[in-house]
Amino acid sequence: MAAAKPDPAPDFFATSRAGVADAELRRKLENSTGRHLDHVAQMRAEFPPYDAERDAARAIKEDAIGRLDQLLIELKHQLEANGCTVFIAADAAEARDYILKVARQAGARRVVKGKSMATEEIALNPALEAAGLEVVETDLGEYIVQLRRERPSHIITPAIHLSKEDIGQLFADKLGIPYSAEPATLTAAARDRLRGIFLAADMGITGVNFAVAETGTLVLVENEGNGRLSSTLPETFIAVMGIEKVIPRLADVPHFLEILARTGTGQKLTTYTNFISGPRRKGEADGPGAMHVVMLDNGRSTMLADPVLREALYCLRCGACLNVCPVYRRIGGHAYNSVYPGPIGSIVSPNLFGSAAAQLPFASTLCGACRDICPVKIDIPRILLHLRWKEGQATPPIKWPADARRARAGVARFARMARHPRTMRLLTRAAAIFARPFAHDGYLKRMPGAFRNWTRWGRDFPAPRFRRRKHVP
Amino acid sequence: MTEVRLFATCLAEQFFPSVVDAAALVLERMKIKVRPLKSAFCCGQAPFNEGLREPALELARRFLNSCEPGTPVVIPSGSCTSMVKIFYSDLLAEEPALAARAAAIRPWLFEFSQFIVNVMRVKYVGARFDRTVAYHPACHLTRELGVVDEPRVLLGQVEGLRLVDFRNPEECCGFGGLFSVKLPHISAAMVEDKIVRLKECGAQAVVANDCGCLMQIGGAIHRQGLAIETFHLAEVLAAR
Amino acid sequence: MTAFHKLIANVKTALERAPRPAEPGHAADGGAAMPVAGDLRRTELIAQFARELAAVGGVFLGALTADQARPRIVALARELGAKAAACGAGVTMDLAPLARALEQSGVAMTRADRKSVADRAAYRDRLAQADLGIVEAHAAIAATGTLAVVGAADRPNSLTLLPPANLILVHADRVMPDLAAAVAALGTATFVTNRVALITGPSRTADIEKMIVLGVHGPKQLYAIAVWPAEGAR
Ligand code: SF4
Repeated sequence: MAAAKPDPAPDFFATSRAGVADAELRRKLENSTGRHLDHVAQMRAEFPPYDAERDAARAIKEDAIGRLDQLLIELKHQLEANGCTVFIAADAAEARDYILKVARQAGARRVVKGKSMATEEIALNPALEAAGLEVVETDLGEYIVQLRRERPSHIITPAIHLSKEDIGQLFADKLGIPYSAEPATLTAAARDRLRGIFLAADMGITGVNFAVAETGTLVLVENEGNGRLSSTLPETFIAVMGIEKVIPRLADVPHFLEILARTGTGQKLTTYTNFISGPRRKGEADGPGAMHVVMLDNGRSTMLADPVLREALYCLRCGACLNVCPVYRRIGGHAYNSVYPGPIGSIVSPNLFGSAAAQLPFASTLCGACRDICPVKIDIPRILLHLRWKEGQATPPIKWPADARRARAGVARFARMARHPRTMRLLTRAAAIFARPFAHDGYLKRMPGAFRNWTRWGRDFPAPRFRRRKHVP
Repeated sequence: MTEVRLFATCLAEQFFPSVVDAAALVLERMKIKVRPLKSAFCCGQAPFNEGLREPALELARRFLNSCEPGTPVVIPSGSCTSMVKIFYSDLLAEEPALAARAAAIRPWLFEFSQFIVNVMRVKYVGARFDRTVAYHPACHLTRELGVVDEPRVLLGQVEGLRLVDFRNPEECCGFGGLFSVKLPHISAAMVEDKIVRLKECGAQAVVANDCGCLMQIGGAIHRQGLAIETFHLAEVLAAR
Repeated sequence: MTAFHKLIANVKTALERAPRPAEPGHAADGGAAMPVAGDLRRTELIAQFARELAAVGGVFLGALTADQARPRIVALARELGAKAAACGAGVTMDLAPLARALEQSGVAMTRADRKSVADRAAYRDRLAQADLGIVEAHAAIAATGTLAVVGAADRPNSLTLLPPANLILVHADRVMPDLAAAVAALGTATFVTNRVALITGPSRTADIEKMIVLGVHGPKQLYAIAVWPAEGAR
């Protein structure tokens, strides 16, 4: 599979180290994710059917993914009957080429984009820009990171790594407005700037949240209105969807919308839910003259074939698992070096981006907070464990820094020895005696070998001990 | 008289033997006969979490062969209990005989607080502990086993103990087994933030049910030279 | 083999490698008939809708009869300082008298009849200049404070997108308890032939430090009126 090219892969160990060292970044993440988690907690508490709805939504996904072939046939058929042109992209390159071709044929010059992780995944913007098109991200967060020529650091809050002061400075520099750190002022400035761009755009590109097979309807969920504008004003509209977005029936949609909003953004319902089934019809004043739907595989069928990883295809891209993840909250999204950061990123990135992301499944304590908050209860820890096992057998083997390699070898050695409890107890006894002179009230300040990194990073290590009571071996 | 096997767990055997002593003492005071489960040393979670399934499998085999269905096995760790109760099913997927044994043993496996509250139906163990205490809910205990209230119920009955809340208690302490030394910078950042919150709440002691958390939180507290002590729940319940 | 067949074949093989779960049964479709609630229930639903709308930053102007609504809307246009407004065709009501009343009060009106929308660019420009967009929703959702607006040739989607303020009317009988009821009431066919927008409050963002700001690309102000049938009308 020809995956989308990730950035010239910097090493996760280096980038995550930079993340934790950035106290300012950690403060911003703590602020924003904390605010989100408070909203979610409140939204969950006041919605008694929350858990039942999660189960219902999960069951629908399970069913849909379980007969994805049939549903895709039905969806394509219905979309075409509604007047859409459907393109199947096996990988990122095919998707990009097709979109470029459509743009060329339509003579498009100015492209407005609604928020879409799928187009980030296929690295669409650079390709469009290289072809001479002007591409503007219109979701406020995306717009901000585009102005900074950065990649989003979160799948639904792209600029979560920036403070309002950072953004104020950015807008003062790039938009030439007087400096302000007032979110309302900054938002108004972006609105003014983007309104003209919307009215002048000749092509709109957005992602898709759900695609209803029964009716050939794309469901787009958003708060700002930029997705609606991108899919309504320009003459050509392209929706890019992963093949896993298909659900069987229109009546399934309500089961998703509320849990998605409640966990994703801490709302009861997002401001706009758009149901789009086709291009403008005769006599209509707005809507695109041509509507294209790009169905993207790009490694999804590989995930489907893996019975454990398959569950990752249920993901609604709500972003909640990022906000609750203690690792994400300490290192930020950019440290992952992947379009998809955080817990969900750690399970989908290795499949999408290959060895460059092979270390990500190890970037977790397996605490399970992600699964707890996930609106479709994806068992992320289980998938991480599965991938650790699979990635461990992959060729070429994962490139570990020397310390990590030593730690891995150490645990393998421990596992071999731990088969012999009696020996282990003797060793513990020996270690306890040996360590005694070095211990300060029961703790060691410096550890050798694989445990070196423990005491180097802000923690003393408990000295080994042995027991005396009768029931003790 | 009830008889239980007490599985010490590798971390406690090596670094926290007093936890095993205390757990045994608390159970014995409840007129339970405690037999240590000696023929296994480790449930295999450490290699399993690292994706090293073969070595983990051998440890699982050893552990399962040391237990027998019909006798409760009590484990003073939420993490090791979840390993056997939950993660073994993936580990043993290709070993039907062992998987069947695991299924037979699973209902007889209890985390320490779970056993006392849900099986023995005891809340008051006659303990006295004169300190202000913050309870750190360990991740596997809470999210894998669903043991949320049991430790708090037990702590609530301890004389002299004042339980205080702190911000975001459920967030992981950052231990994560090998994670703590493979990605030490992230692990250390997590515990650093946890300790900031613990300091705010004015607790004199932190109590958890998992030796991994105790190592991590205790190690960081000791490095920072703070006057907060760390205890396993069993130690608190054994105190008089 | 076409790309599509290749994909389907891929997906099929993938599915065969990991077995598919049993298909769960589906509940029957709700059907397209609009259920009408009893008077008391209707009042309750409207009250709940009003509460939820307020919670998301919208303004409920009341449950009014058409005759009461007209002067209220004219007053609103004045409060907003609206010089130009645009209005789509009604669903259950005739909005022409309302448009006339606004015109008489000095507001330049853009209608969405065939003639005005024929020149799409000109129509869009007028909408972009309008201070207030007025439409009738097909349904409202009490549980979430949502308005379900069905786009059509004489009710363009841009009406609820381009003007900085929106007034959305809904028939009092069409306030549904929840999302599922509203989707069922609209009926599947509507979704195939028309664009449907569920609108829950004014446009908003939380992209800067997760702080909520109203009015990004869509309207900043959203007003709603539940239109009560006139005395003796039912
Ligand atoms: S894995 Fe779950 S919580 Fe994470 S983004 Fe996907 S749906 Fe949301």
